[in-house]
Amino acid sequence: MSDFYQTDIITTLHRLGTPRLERLEYELEGFTKQRPMTLVLPALYTEFQADAIKGIIEELKKVRYVKEIVLSLGRASDDEFDRAREFMSAIPYDVKILHNEGKRIKEVYATIDRNGLWAGEDGKGRSAWLAYGYVMAAARTDVIALHDCDIVSYSREMLARLCYPVVNPNIDVVFCKGFYSRVTDRMHGRVTRLLITPLIRALQKLVGGHDFLAFLDSFRYPLAGEFCMITDLAWVNRIPWDWGLEVGVLSEVFRNYSPRRVCQVDISDNYEHKHQSLSADDASKGLMRMSVDISKTIFRVLAAEGVVFSENFFKSLEVGYLRLAEDTMVKYEADATLNGLVYDRHEEAKAVEAFVKAIYKASQVLLENPLNTPLIPSWKRVSSAIPGVLDMLRAAVDEDNR
Amino acid sequence: MENFFELLWQPFRDFWAGLVGFIPNFLAMLIIIAAGFFVAWVVKAVLSKAFSALSFDAWCDRAGLTAMARKANVWSKPSDIMLKVVYWFLAVVFAMIGLTALRLQAIDSLTMQFFTYLPRAFSALLILIIGYVITGFVSRAVLIAAVNAGYRYAKLLAEAVRMLLIVLILAMALEQLQVAPGIVVAAFSIIFGGIVISLAIAFGAGGIEAARKVIEKSSEEKKESDRDIEHL
Repeated sequence: MSDFYQTDIITTLHRLGTPRLERLEYELEGFTKQRPMTLVLPALYTEFQADAIKGIIEELKKVRYVKEIVLSLGRASDDEFDRAREFMSAIPYDVKILHNEGKRIKEVYATIDRNGLWAGEDGKGRSAWLAYGYVMAAARTDVIALHDCDIVSYSREMLARLCYPVVNPNIDVVFCKGFYSRVTDRMHGRVTRLLITPLIRALQKLVGGHDFLAFLDSFRYPLAGEFCMITDLAWVNRIPWDWGLEVGVLSEVFRNYSPRRVCQVDISDNYEHKHQSLSADDASKGLMRMSVDISKTIFRVLAAEGVVFSENFFKSLEVGYLRLAEDTMVKYEADATLNGLVYDRHEEAKAVEAFVKAIYKASQVLLENPLNTPLIPSWKRVSSAIPGVLDMLRAAVDEDNR
Repeated sequence: MENFFELLWQPFRDFWAGLVGFIPNFLAMLIIIAAGFFVAWVVKAVLSKAFSALSFDAWCDRAGLTAMARKANVWSKPSDIMLKVVYWFLAVVFAMIGLTALRLQAIDSLTMQFFTYLPRAFSALLILIIGYVITGFVSRAVLIAAVNAGYRYAKLLAEAVRMLLIVLILAMALEQLQVAPGIVVAAFSIIFGGIVISLAIAFGAGGIEAARKVIEKSSEEKKESDRDIEHL
């Protein structure tokens, strides 16, 4: 990023000049003595069969300021869990792997379930939530950083830049989200470019100035999966288990902390990970499902903030969104032309049409049952219902990793 | 010669007579044991329904009993553990009763010992359960009181109290089970006494100055009150 523009209400930390990784890591080593840090990695076993994870592990081997890695492993058999452990054993500091499909973790889920709480369906949200639980149970660190395991262009500078603002006590932020561009020979990140930003701005037109919408609009890449936060935040946050995870996390941060203590940081010049298909005709998979879940989350948060929704509101919203999305396409086309990138206007227009359908579907879900929330309860809530649950989780993980 | 053959046959006849006399006893034992397993199965089925209706597992979760079992690396549901315990307890009791049907002196005395030991085992179990609940309550109360008093090592103090109470309760349970009672009582006395003496020395040595100040202050107050003018 070449500018130094500050967006509305949160702090934006840019990549300016030629920052030296060695200096960042040296300082991080000092700061993490006072504020030790855990890196949480939600992963599926299939990711261990891809190349991206090898590059990530090679980079993480060189990191000296992370106290422990907690890898929350999903969809893995016992043998696959053992193979993942072997794979991670190359890392020279503490690594704990949460075996989500293992009998002990399943029993933890069953315990939560039979006490009238629900940890949600299998997915990144639940994996991350469980990992936070373990970090709090172990009580060894004050800061949690999280990123995905499918980043092809991973470098340890990403991690250093991501956690620096939270770990450095002089900056004093409680939550830091990464941002980056996703460009190859074309621009990616359709959901952020063509759904979230136009949708938020269309909502701002209808609702008027709203703090949450301004907060959300301040993020350059609200769907970025990389963030760092203080451990206390994991204690009170309720996160969605569906694709609304990223927006849901932001809404909880907004609810619990002042935006002055929230920042976003430019972590990479370019970022490459797996791309999802649009799946325009099937709202149960691909980007369509993601779009429905994200729209639902935004609507639900606004409803909780006192915004009144109706059929007519949503009709106006769809029209307003469509206009703004079309305007946005024109802007991106110009951007692509200037930079010599491929820009398939037809594909982008098809995506916008699919997103209109997604907004409609999300609105119908909200109007039918506004209380149907896919939120995983906070660990604070779970611990008050089952006082020994964190000890239980810790025992399960420690025993699995013995 | 006839006597000789008689001598040869007699042990076989005796054996046969003994066997014929023993078979009804053996059958009775088998029937009692089989009945025991059946009764255990019925009780298990009834208890399973009752536990489910009473949300026994959720109660154990909230009481911290599940977490305690997990720490001991037991990962079955609390109700399943309980059902297994009840099932095998009843099976063993019936097996012991069944064994008495054999009318063998050695087994009769073993059975007698088993039944006389049962109340002790039951008492020890009760001591452990009640003790665990009390330990949790007291250590929590100590933690809250110490935190409210601004004591820096509140968690450490609460943990120390908890450990002390666990030692006390384990000693009581072992004493009840008559497992090396002399050693248990002696070990407990040494550990408990040692802790109390250590604390007394630590507070005594560390608190000399504070104690002197308290005593001096009270004696000065007394002198002051002696000097007070009494008005008629």
